[in-house]
Amino acid sequence: MRRAVPLAAVVLVLVLPWLTASQFTLHLAITVLLWTVLGVAWNLLGGYGGQVSFGHATFFGVGAYTTLILYLKLGLAPWYGMAVGGAVGALVSLPIGLVCFRLRGPYFSLATLAVAEILRLVALNWEGLTNGPVGLLITALPPVRIASRPIDWESKTPFYYMVAGLALAAMLAAYGLARSRLGAYLLAVREDEDTAEAVGIDTVRAKVVTLALSAFLAAVAGGFYGLYFRYVDPDAVFPIALSVEMVFIAVVGGLATVAGPAVGAVFLVTISELFRERFLVGHLIFYGLFMMLAIRYLPEGIWGGVRRLVSGHAPS
Amino acid sequence: MPLLEISGLTKDFGGLRAVSNLSFGVEPGEILGLIGPNGAGKTTVFNLVTGFHRPTAGAIRLAGAGLVGLKPHAVTRRGVARTFQIVKPFPKLSVLENVTLAAFLRHPARRDAEGEARRALEQVGLGAKLAAPAADLTLAEQKRLETARALATRPTLLLLDEPMGGLNPREVEDASALVRRIRDAGVTVVLVEHVMKAIMRLSDRVVVIHHGEKIADGAPDRVVQDPGVIAAYLGKRVA
Repeated sequence: MRRAVPLAAVVLVLVLPWLTASQFTLHLAITVLLWTVLGVAWNLLGGYGGQVSFGHATFFGVGAYTTLILYLKLGLAPWYGMAVGGAVGALVSLPIGLVCFRLRGPYFSLATLAVAEILRLVALNWEGLTNGPVGLLITALPPVRIASRPIDWESKTPFYYMVAGLALAAMLAAYGLARSRLGAYLLAVREDEDTAEAVGIDTVRAKVVTLALSAFLAAVAGGFYGLYFRYVDPDAVFPIALSVEMVFIAVVGGLATVAGPAVGAVFLVTISELFRERFLVGHLIFYGLFMMLAIRYLPEGIWGGVRRLVSGHAPS
Repeated sequence: MPLLEISGLTKDFGGLRAVSNLSFGVEPGEILGLIGPNGAGKTTVFNLVTGFHRPTAGAIRLAGAGLVGLKPHAVTRRGVARTFQIVKPFPKLSVLENVTLAAFLRHPARRDAEGEARRALEQVGLGAKLAAPAADLTLAEQKRLETARALATRPTLLLLDEPMGGLNPREVEDASALVRRIRDAGVTVVLVEHVMKAIMRLSDRVVVIHHGEKIADGAPDRVVQDPGVIAAYLGKRVA
């Protein structure tokens, strides 16, 4: 059971493109996996470390812009751009962490919210670099061959596998973190910072390092977003709604669990798609309603709740 | 040379002088009792030594090296561990996990850290409760858990803040025996305590503070006869 479920999930993800010819289904799957990466990224710091960021769009946007700018201005292929974007995202996180994590209380949450908004305004106004509100557009992706067969960038399949790989890597990273020394330190930080310090844990450093890891993942996901949609503009990659959705996915799926964000992403994407057609903007009401129900009745998240029911002990 | 040397230590909280020009030393291998009426500044001294508060003035040296200005985690890394007056175990974690967190300080690998944690838990007599959630322990056991967590950081100096507060006489006996065992294992101990009988029997030396100032320093049987000490304790009751 413990091994069968993740294995079945991985197999399902790998064979999905063969099961459906529908590009729309594949698009939904890509959306779910992208949200999974973002949920996992947020969960590293928010779930394991208890440090709530309301501005993870900062790193998503930085990753997306870095990837597109490097490609459009310097001709660097976007898959390398994603890695550089991740590094830039981590770099941007350092001053935020180093300043805010010295203080206790809501400062970090508030600062992240503010930084995302500041970067949105910078992207809007620094037209020389970002094209301002017009945004950046990729018209053609560089040709790539795998086993001498050219990859068809008009199909969604290559993007699907790319994001599936990212999601898997992100979840493995979360799994590794939870069992590492840093994971143990984060647990201590979340529970009580004074005690954590008293047993020799550099709480500021633990939080800063984790924020950087989390920012890296979110920025790589942002790079993928830019590559997949071939277009970024400030309101698409820096909005508050994006930051909040990452929080929701981790909370609804299950804080400090490896699989929780995947479950949360499936749940929330499904809900929003189901109600979008029928109720247009009204679908957000249902989205909010399910959110409240989940928080009220499943405070450990869907995955946390399922794990507790199945195994009778705490989720991992 | 004393292991811990405190000189001219002063701490003001706004207009209140919690610790005033306090000086004393702790010799290696000694059990030192730090006592005084409520509000005398005992816990503040612990908070100053361990870096939770920054002194207004004065010096704190561990084996000659200054500790003032270091963050709490850095003080722990230098070999000073502490427990808290109000126990703060991580309630949702198991006993073993609680102590393993601390053992990671000297052991990067989880396996080694768990080994260290098991040793510390054996030492305090919690070897049979490794898997229990910390929240399920009795108060006496939680205090032992805190001690084990402090020991797992491999301190040379251990500061115990009221390890016997709230315990019954039988548990006080056990706690005293534990403090002696820790000292015999090579760790120097300073304890703040209100349970007078226990501290007088346990300590090699006693430092008495009152209103943040040292009023006596010496062997327990001498200190209890000191007129200043008697006035500090009894004077309060009369007034």
